[in-house]
Amino acid sequence: MIGRVGQIWANATPQVRRPFYIGLAVAAVLAVLVGLGVANTETFLALPSSFEGVASSQAIWGLKPSNLLMVLPLGSFLVVLARSFIGLKAFGLFTPMLIAVAFLQIGPVMGPVVLCSSVLVGMIVTPPLLKLRMTRVGFLGVLISLIVLVLAGLQQMLDTQLQVDAFPVIVCALCVERWWKQWGKDGAKPAAKMAFNTFALALMIEFVMVSDFALALIDWSPLLMPAVTGVAIAILGRYRGLRLSEIGRFAPIWLERRRRAKAAAAEAEALPDGVEEDRREGLPDTRRVPEPERVPQPEPILEPPRLPRRAAYRKPQFRPLHRSHGMVLAALAGRAPPLDGMWVIGSRDELRPGARRRVPQIDPDRGALPRPRLVASGGRTVAEWAEEWPDDELGGRPPIHNAWVIRRVEDV
Amino acid sequence: MFGLLNRWLGLGEGGLIEGEILGINMRNALIQKYNPRHAIERARDKVAAKRALEAAGIACTGTVAVLEDHQQVADFKPSRDMPDAWAIKPARGSQGDGILLAVRREGNTWYKGSGAALPEDMVMHHIQKVVDGGFSGDSAAEDAALIEPLIIADPALSRIVPEGLPDLRVISLHYTPLMAMVRLPTIESDGKANLHQRAIGAGIDMETGRITRAVVKGTPITHHPDTGVNLIGFEIPGWKRVLELASRCGPAVGLGYCGADIVLDVNDGPLVIEVNAHPGIEIQNICQAGLKSRIAATGEDFR
Repeated sequence: MIGRVGQIWANATPQVRRPFYIGLAVAAVLAVLVGLGVANTETFLALPSSFEGVASSQAIWGLKPSNLLMVLPLGSFLVVLARSFIGLKAFGLFTPMLIAVAFLQIGPVMGPVVLCSSVLVGMIVTPPLLKLRMTRVGFLGVLISLIVLVLAGLQQMLDTQLQVDAFPVIVCALCVERWWKQWGKDGAKPAAKMAFNTFALALMIEFVMVSDFALALIDWSPLLMPAVTGVAIAILGRYRGLRLSEIGRFAPIWLERRRRAKAAAAEAEALPDGVEEDRREGLPDTRRVPEPERVPQPEPILEPPRLPRRAAYRKPQFRPLHRSHGMVLAALAGRAPPLDGMWVIGSRDELRPGARRRVPQIDPDRGALPRPRLVASGGRTVAEWAEEWPDDELGGRPPIHNAWVIRRVEDV
Repeated sequence: MFGLLNRWLGLGEGGLIEGEILGINMRNALIQKYNPRHAIERARDKVAAKRALEAAGIACTGTVAVLEDHQQVADFKPSRDMPDAWAIKPARGSQGDGILLAVRREGNTWYKGSGAALPEDMVMHHIQKVVDGGFSGDSAAEDAALIEPLIIADPALSRIVPEGLPDLRVISLHYTPLMAMVRLPTIESDGKANLHQRAIGAGIDMETGRITRAVVKGTPITHHPDTGVNLIGFEIPGWKRVLELASRCGPAVGLGYCGADIVLDVNDGPLVIEVNAHPGIEIQNICQAGLKSRIAATGEDFR
């Protein structure tokens, strides 16, 4: 297994290798920071009310409530990293970090519990709410009151104060809405995957925020964090290589090509004496299988076959037509007669067997055609807004069919 | 230090051009570079895009009517103004949302492809919903309804699919078509030419217009699963015309990097239905070729 991976790796092009290294480096740095944050967590299960008035972020991690704002630049930095290097798709740019702020306010375990329960309730009540055909604002309003209801119920159940302010409630409501929109657009599975990504990113941001590194940065000077992340985003945001997830997505291209190259190489080397079948893996199968019968392909015609010489030239007979004949009437009206049931042959190529021939389209009097109308009852016509609509009577074409008319075999 | 970082990120001299596959990061950079905001807006609005295309003399699908506000909807009467077979599309819809198709008419009732009846008031209700912006994503409050005559696919193409309209996607940079595929509906995809709904994607050789490779959801196939027709080697009729149309679409709308959706009509041959300002990159997996190397071959420096 390991040898196989190594072999694939040896054949990988630089375009694959670089993003792989970069993605791995980013993932490793994030893992270390998250690990630091987890190690920094003093208590996981404590409820906010047990801290006697001290904010939970301060009590659990020593992060001052005034520094909660620092989550935003850090969060956006991490979201950019996850998006353009790893390829994690989340609900929007800001949702994960807003959720992370909510988690920091409530606690490492209680945060996800509160979020999940309120989002779950929101998801359950959304289908009947959508049936009421409310506006978006009305829908969000109902959702917010429902989520507050769930939070109040949780507080009573756990007999504690969750210290939830307006902020996480709005975040929960937006999450539910985004989830439903995504579900309607892509189906349940991609939406669930995206929700999971959002959740994972939020947890990651939360723990990176409380790692020693970030706390030290904030301690040093509160100005440092936004400045550092701003510069870092400006540099790393210009990355244009493949994302880590795209290596997997486009791997079939490289693998297929490698297989073909290998097959071509194997074909070049002859089989040893006495061996007639090649059953090695990854090589073209040379077992004797009765070859499928070849479908007869029509042979390409290089030049039109020479036609036998025609009979002697006959002078066309002049045959007067009756006055009421359609062609006479059409000639009197100055238009060519409609051709039907005939092919129009415009060039030599169209005589070839299998060639696509134009069926003569009767060019009707364009003035008599009902123009497409914007407004049915005599409003503006299309010609008024589309200047390029041909306005001249005959559509700019002479009323003569520039073609050979074939009626009998002798005409060919 | 900055130069080192740039090299590490692949932004240095040779780093940008190397490689074959176009990733989403690089695609976004190309779009940012070549597709101006107003052109993207125009491409997103089917009516505006159609006007721009027709002004440039590019063959588009026909138009029966454009209904832009409630006044026009109130004046519209389907029994009088609609042909026998038509398609109603929201101008700013996405992914085929809100498209209603009627294939035949009996009296004042139309019928969908599935055989379901569409009486006049149902048609009007749909138009109303489109104009109200019911299919136009989140931003637009109002939308225009675009009514077009129904397109009937070229018999050469419709012979290989069980139902639905196959369409061609050609990605081009400026005037150069780069890569093309044809999306063939299956019964499983419900007649829709959408790769996510298990339609077949088939890569086309740019020079000959023949299908080289066909894929359903990542598995290569050679024959259409429903009709059993051999796809490999099938030649798209009127391929030169398709390329010509595709190469002129982007500049006509104002886009540098775009994907043109083209259908083959039974009478009029290749017609443009839509120009996409953010074409997906899945086409590389279907054609099994990299877009980036082809873009680099046009002289692009990716800066």
